Amino acid sequence: MAFLWDQLRAALALIFHGNAFILSLTWVTIRVAVISTAAAVAIGLPIGLLIALGRFRGRRALQILANASLALPPVMLGIGVLLLILPQGALGSWHLAFTLRAVYIVQAVLALPYIVALTPAAIQGLAPGLLAQARALGAGRRQLSTLALREARVGVLAAVIAALGATISEVGAVIIVGGNFEGHDETLASALLAGFTSTANDPYELAIGIVLLTLILGLVAILTVLQQRTGGIRLRFRTG
Amino acid sequence: MHLIWEELRAAVPLIADGNPALYGIIAFTLQVAAVATAAAVVIGLPIALLVGLGRFRGRRGLQVLVNAGLALPPVVVGVVLFLIFARHAPLGSLNLIFTRRAVLIAQTILALPYVVALGAAAIQGLAPGLLAQARALGAGRAQLSLLALREARIGVVAAIVAALGTSLSEVAAIALIGGNIYGYDQTLASATLYEVNGARYADAVAISIVLLVLILILMGGLSLLQHRTHGIRLRFSPSA
Repeated sequence: MAFLWDQLRAALALIFHGNAFILSLTWVTIRVAVISTAAAVAIGLPIGLLIALGRFRGRRALQILANASLALPPVMLGIGVLLLILPQGALGSWHLAFTLRAVYIVQAVLALPYIVALTPAAIQGLAPGLLAQARALGAGRRQLSTLALREARVGVLAAVIAALGATISEVGAVIIVGGNFEGHDETLASALLAGFTSTANDPYELAIGIVLLTLILGLVAILTVLQQRTGGIRLRFRTG
Repeated sequence: MHLIWEELRAAVPLIADGNPALYGIIAFTLQVAAVATAAAVVIGLPIALLVGLGRFRGRRGLQVLVNAGLALPPVVVGVVLFLIFARHAPLGSLNLIFTRRAVLIAQTILALPYVVALGAAAIQGLAPGLLAQARALGAGRAQLSLLALREARIGVVAAIVAALGTSLSEVAAIALIGGNIYGYDQTLASATLYEVNGARYADAVAISIVLLVLILILMGGLSLLQHRTHGIRLRFSPSA
């Protein structure tokens, strides 16, 4: 165990001395996660509401499609986006390939299914009478949406947290479209993979892993607290 | 769209002509997904039953832990396994690093939280009266477990499908601990990453098409299963 222990001590020292490399990786990771999740929420929440509240032909097919998109392999999305943004690709003139912006885009695409699929699931889990009653009392589309989002807020927040977690952990798609350039578009997770394939066994790797794990566990903790605190509110509706 | 179109046109013959390297990758991918998921089911299902049915101190803590395991970044799992199995690490003498067996171990660990967390959630989602009644009628631990698994089978199957899905799509952990060695321990997902890094886009597209087809078959099977047994679930929910 001496080997592991030495590595751990060196790694903790790097973190607590605010190593510039690790700080910059963390900053890129947080920026990528927040910006791409925000974009996914802006695009995905209206679609999620449409699936949950809409009454139109093809609603069910749309929902199956949204659920299936959750299972899309990230590497496949990565190569799809890359072939669009390479200089010879359809969007080549935008000069996005191997930039941080490309990472934002691919991560937003990856985060989108979480919002689009999990938001309707949360809203459909509400007591069925609630929305029907609001409709009967003459609630318009906007009032209905607001009501649904407010009542299903824990489920919607869980979707947002799942999206944040996925973007923080993602490696394959980030490396494919971003090229993993150190100090530019390398995230904590992608740096871990790149570091191990070039120079193995560095306390840096362990330090990056610890920071990454801390971010994820922080998110999980927030979600757990939210779910437990609002358990009472959800229960009241179930019995009502 | 030219670039995507060109690469797709180049990719189709690669699949259709039966490229032996591609078939080798497909065979290993299926083997990894099947073996890792089977191992995760054997280890995880008893734990899921314990979390879902057990009445002991710390059950709630165990559940939070298991849910957190679901959010574990695969690349971190890879790093930890690397630090355990590297040449001069505690278990270095097992010579597992950069082998197919290491890939199997990593994927089993990654599949485990899906089986445990989603399996337990499915069991807890059963109508509360059902299991209480069985208990009151004197069902033993084995009978209760069988009943819970039979009633929650859709959720349990969904958990297994989710585990299979991650084993198919995962890249980071297995690239890290398996080394992503061409012709040896590459899966469809990690081979896609490998081919993109070498700018062999047609090969990458061909491989990711096969990956997508596998995932779609899996998802299609699951939704078929959920629709067929929907009636049974409905019958139980009014009493909830």
